Amino acid sequence: MSRKERVYQNMKNVKEHTMVAEETKDFTELENRIMAGRESYRNIPVPEEMERRIREATAGQGAGNRFRIPAAVAAAVALLIVLPNTGADIAHAMGNLPVVGKLFQVVTFRDYQYESERFDANVEIPQIVVEDVKENTGETAESTETVQGEQTEEFRKLQETVEQVNFDIDTVTDQLVEEFKESAELGESYGSLEIHHEIVTDNERYFTLKLSIYRGAGSGMESYKLYTIDKQSGRQVQLKDLFREDSGYLDIISEEIRDQMRALMAEDEMKAYWVDQTDIPELNWEGLKEDQNYYFDADGNLVLVFDEYEVAPGYMGAQEFTVEKAVFEGMLNG
Amino acid sequence: MRNRKEALVRSILLENYESYYRLAFSYVHQEADAMDIVQEGACKAMAKARSLREESFAGTWVYRIMINTAKNHLKKYERERGTLREDMAAPEKNDVDLELREAVDRLPMQEKTLIILRFYEDKPLAEIAEILQENLNTVKSRLYRTLEKLRRELA
Repeated sequence: MSRKERVYQNMKNVKEHTMVAEETKDFTELENRIMAGRESYRNIPVPEEMERRIREATAGQGAGNRFRIPAAVAAAVALLIVLPNTGADIAHAMGNLPVVGKLFQVVTFRDYQYESERFDANVEIPQIVVEDVKENTGETAESTETVQGEQTEEFRKLQETVEQVNFDIDTVTDQLVEEFKESAELGESYGSLEIHHEIVTDNERYFTLKLSIYRGAGSGMESYKLYTIDKQSGRQVQLKDLFREDSGYLDIISEEIRDQMRALMAEDEMKAYWVDQTDIPELNWEGLKEDQNYYFDADGNLVLVFDEYEVAPGYMGAQEFTVEKAVFEGMLNG
Repeated sequence: MRNRKEALVRSILLENYESYYRLAFSYVHQEADAMDIVQEGACKAMAKARSLREESFAGTWVYRIMINTAKNHLKKYERERGTLREDMAAPEKNDVDLELREAVDRLPMQEKTLIILRFYEDKPLAEIAEILQENLNTVKSRLYRTLEKLRRELA
């Protein structure tokens, strides 16, 4: 830099500096005036309800996330009804069904009901019962009994799986009920818990039980847990077990779902999904998970089930997307 | 890891919900709507906590979610009613400078946000830039433009 340039640069700096100073000075009065209004802004009253609602919103997300502390709360409110064993009904139903093979039934042995001014729970805890219906006679071997060594190895495996699923259902529901009881005991805020179930698939190959869980109040949280059992292998099947590992199924199916989201949004401007979001890219759906909830519909298409908030804003509720057989057939295992 | 991020976001929400509420209230001038916005924003933040990449940005990230939730809310409301609600300014008891308050209230959402964050919430410009995902210079010049505008209105 030549001397001349340096001088010029200095002049420029000084000038700029002066301008900034002038500008700042110019705004001082206004800024002071705005600052004077700060107090009144900070005095905008925050309704008490807001705290309750923020606690609700931050509560109970994520599996096994225990945030409510008191463990030693007496659980006197609990009302656990043990329903009569519905075995008789099953036997009756069996008598009327000309089914041969593995018969799946869902029974509710336990449920939990609670109601107070601010809390309510309506919980059914389902259990799967599987029976091997023998040819000709229609006689059954109940899974809960050991019928003199007549059960095949295959059926024993299936029974084991069913027991595992039942255990999982118990664990999940018991924990939710426990959390509910704790908050009802504490009496802080309000809340509700609903757990219901539905058999969404029962074909030759697969049996899927869907557990619908609603937690919270106001804009609560709707989530699902689906259990699929492969009747052939007798095993529980997660999404990842359906597909060949190297098939790229996660990306391919995720992209298919994103396309559906885009089409739905183009069709209806009130619809919103977390796809192609540029203002908060962090919100964009990250794609299918290996253990994503799913089931097969009556036509053999794959239905992906999402919890509320998982792929769309809360007002959209929980979402399901159906992917045509043709899209994924070539990637299936075996 | 996931739980840690959730815990972090949760603590941020619990600590700052009053600020989010006041900001939301400044947009909608209505308790119920402001609470809806904050609650929805909180749910979003919780649901997406695990996708948060940089923990040190959690605070600005939550702010951004709140502002965007409010923006969507306003959009939706305008669509439903076809108009903006202007007549619902809260009754203020000790508002000495009503003129200023009204001038700030009349500002478009983006400019109002700047004034609130800078002056009422005392946020450094760099942090505001981070919240709004804008370049620092853009934020600066926009703030000056907004101040110009206010000054003209109050003149």
